[in-house]
Amino acid sequence: MKVTIKEWNAVATWHWDIPEDEVCGICRVQFDGTCPTCKFPGDDCALVQGRCNHAFHMHCLMTWIDLETSKGLCPMCRQKFEWKDKE
Amino acid sequence: MKMSFPNPDDILNFTLTIEPDEGMYKGGVFNFSFAVNQNFPHDPPKVKCTQKIYHPNIDLEGNVCLNILREDWKPVLNLNAVIVGMQFLFLEPNASDPLNKDAAEDLRATRDTFKKNVRNSMAGGSVRGISFERVLR
Repeated sequence: MKVTIKEWNAVATWHWDIPEDEVCGICRVQFDGTCPTCKFPGDDCALVQGRCNHAFHMHCLMTWIDLETSKGLCPMCRQKFEWKDKE
Repeated sequence: MKMSFPNPDDILNFTLTIEPDEGMYKGGVFNFSFAVNQNFPHDPPKVKCTQKIYHPNIDLEGNVCLNILREDWKPVLNLNAVIVGMQFLFLEPNASDPLNKDAAEDLRATRDTFKKNVRNSMAGGSVRGISFERVLR
């Protein structure tokens, strides 16, 4: 039997390179979703990971780090929050 | 333990009732007002005891001294953590970080006298000339 493809539709999914069922500890929304202020997930609402390996929505973390009370510490482990460089 | 919402349309303001089932404060019914602001979870909830009680970590105005309500708050904490912390204050009053200095001094000096004062205050009696609200079930 010969099959001729007349038309095809490509469908793709994506998710961040991070365990799929994990949520942001600050807003408790899945990492593949958005922080409470964003509408579109993905590059518009990126993630940030610290050297301590704790990850958050970048917007969630920035709101926290900008507060004086945060003292620049990771909300999870209270170590100084430093951006992890990509290896 | 029970939560109640005076205005059901406003889920950010509610009352928490704690009834310790062990420890020195057993038998008491303690009410706290919780106010969660729009900046939650970046700001901690504001918690106040609505009764005048005798406790080393709660002053006569109802302010509560619990680290995670102030300096140690972080946005990964939730109301559950706060409520567990408050239950712990009734189980294990902390004399080293007092808001009611008289009560803390009593606890440090003689635990038994402190216990008696707690029972007395919960029954609506006075301690050191200050009268307290009856909070017994």
